[in-house]
Amino acid sequence: MKPNNKVWKQMGVLVLAFATLAPAWGGEDESGPVNPYSGDKAVAKEGAELFNQYCSHCHGPWAEQGERVRDLRRLRIRYGDYATETFWTTVHKGRMEKGMPVWGGVLSDDVLWRIYTFLETVQTEE
Amino acid sequence: MASVRRSLLGGVAVVALATVASSAMAQAGNEWPTYGGDKSNTRFSTLDQINTGNVKDLKVVWMHSLGSNDSQESTPIIVGDTMYVTSSTGPKYVFALNARTGEKIWTYQPELPGDYMSTVCCGLDNRGVAVANGMVFFGRLDAKLEALDAKTGKHLWTKTVADYRKGYAITSAPLIVKDMVITGMAGGEYGVRGFVSAYKQSTGELVWKTYTIPGEGEPENDTWKGDSWKTGGGSTWGVGAYDAGRNLVYWSTSNAGPWGASTRGNDSSDIGPYSNKWTSSQLAFDADTGKIVWGYQYTPHDTWDYDGINEAVLTELSLGGQKVPVMMHADRNGFFYVLNRETGKLLAADPFVTVNWASHVDLQTGRPVEAPNNEKRPQLGKWARNVCPNLIGGKNWSPMSYSPQTGLVYLPAFNMCMDIKNREEEYSPGKFYLASEFDLGMAGASGSNLAEFIAWDPVAMKKAWSIPEDYMWASGAMTTAGGLVFYGNLEGKFKAVNAKTGEVLWQFNVGTGITQSAVSYSIDGKQYIAVTAGRLKGPPSFFGKLGQKMMAVSPEGGVLVVFAL
Ligand code: HEC
Repeated sequence: MKPNNKVWKQMGVLVLAFATLAPAWGGEDESGPVNPYSGDKAVAKEGAELFNQYCSHCHGPWAEQGERVRDLRRLRIRYGDYATETFWTTVHKGRMEKGMPVWGGVLSDDVLWRIYTFLETVQTEE
Repeated sequence: MASVRRSLLGGVAVVALATVASSAMAQAGNEWPTYGGDKSNTRFSTLDQINTGNVKDLKVVWMHSLGSNDSQESTPIIVGDTMYVTSSTGPKYVFALNARTGEKIWTYQPELPGDYMSTVCCGLDNRGVAVANGMVFFGRLDAKLEALDAKTGKHLWTKTVADYRKGYAITSAPLIVKDMVITGMAGGEYGVRGFVSAYKQSTGELVWKTYTIPGEGEPENDTWKGDSWKTGGGSTWGVGAYDAGRNLVYWSTSNAGPWGASTRGNDSSDIGPYSNKWTSSQLAFDADTGKIVWGYQYTPHDTWDYDGINEAVLTELSLGGQKVPVMMHADRNGFFYVLNRETGKLLAADPFVTVNWASHVDLQTGRPVEAPNNEKRPQLGKWARNVCPNLIGGKNWSPMSYSPQTGLVYLPAFNMCMDIKNREEEYSPGKFYLASEFDLGMAGASGSNLAEFIAWDPVAMKKAWSIPEDYMWASGAMTTAGGLVFYGNLEGKFKAVNAKTGEVLWQFNVGTGITQSAVSYSIDGKQYIAVTAGRLKGPPSFFGKLGQKMMAVSPEGGVLVVFAL
């Protein structure tokens, strides 16, 4: 975890700055949020527990979910290159009018990245 | 009896007769005047035109779209020849329909804030209205209570019961008592402090409000560790019952919050003083003052989400040669309870599904005896494995029905277990406050069927018969004097069953899952059966693989289907 610490902190700040500018992204910008823990198995395991604690009531334990719009195993096939960015914007700002709470200010960016690290391991192809 | 009734049909006489034959309160006859059929919640209709002999000829006479797609859980109310029914999602609509034809009388769309959905726990449902004195009352998911003119649908008043942004909501129909309209509230997953409140029908003015969790200096407040009572849950999202003779209002309470119990008391089955009253409990309130007259706790120091809100069904039972005024309650924790409803004394408690978190309920102390060595009690950082029933319970809110004709209670039961563990968590207003992690993706202890429709003998305290169902949920029940019990399942099959034998006599596929009980009414001598359908979405969302299967069984939807011969 240690080696990544600085990176994610920087990324966190950058990303937060971005999030507030979200409407201006327009999809061309290549410097979207980057998961500092990507591929880290230990973090993914922790992330699964955090996911089960905070998200599973709506998104299913281990992200197993039958309601399409809530199935977070489909972020990659749904959003492709925009998957990470969509995750980041959605968890920070929520989609209150659709029942997705705001997690920015409730869970730290570190926790949210850990959760995302888990989600990356369960993305489906079909 | 049946033939006598038929010759008198078309009238008040039928109702009067049946009332004498049975308990203290008027049963549902030509009208279905209140959520539970009567204020005893028996969901027994005295109508017998449709009966075991002719139910095979039941046909659809009209249908109505509910106009929304979340779980449909509304019990239609029939007063005179008008039916009042709500849709899910808010409610999105309140409809007044001609109960003979389904023709619209009026439609009302409540004005809800756009952001209420993210502070509602387990499905955007609404269970229907209460009607009295020319007014229609209903609760909303943004924790408001609203009153309409029953004739015109014109808005009369709206009252804020609690702050929805802190996780409060109203899901169930209110209860009419005298000139009051009484409501419970939801939010046990959001660190709320539960209460029941009563309002004046004419103005919406608050008459009384009683917290289920006693405040500082009040008796039983010391059943909580530190300040934990402030966010202790004990919501009242189910329905009330009313005993007019005793002037008592009954309501039961939800799980304690957060689910993880270590902040509320001992992190152990040795709970010491920390029973966390009155969560997962049955309460009796003085109808005029709201004062708690007695309480009985189903699950002391709950940590399994054994939420106790399931309905109380009031009747008289012959026990040991004596007629006893009782209330019957099938709890999420897997035990079927019979209490003396005057005193709150526990008379019987026996498991109606596989139960392993407790071996039995001690009838002397009234307390469940938990499995040894905390084996089935989740603790901070420690999994309890294969705990039965799971947190959806042996039975959930879908109402049971009691038929005085057979003396049996009919209830939808679930056959599922879980792994569960507690975690540390900070309270944050308007956010889930569970401090818990769980896995519900496993079937139960008795076979691969996830649900079962049970006929239960409340005197012998055992099953009379049961029908296995592949998937949870099986819907609530309705019994009739025609010797029938009606219920539906997740696939959308609506069934009429011989109430004595359990033989399925008729079924009809309504195309989407059924959760709520059906109702019956009669106009101009013609008996109707009505049911709302729309597969539930909330609970399957947290059932993992099983949830995925459940959602694949039938699509979501929103339809009201009415049948007659
Ligand atoms: C109260 C229920 C609820 C909780 C709790 C919840 N979500 Fe959501 N979430 C939703 C709903 C509903 C949607 C779908 C909104 C829509 O229709 O666009 C959603 C959508 C999302 C999306 C976007 C999916 C997409 O394909 O566009 C992400 C990412 C997400 N949630 C992540 C999370 C994470 C991470 C957590 C836990 C920290 C979480 N959610 C907790 C209800 C919830």
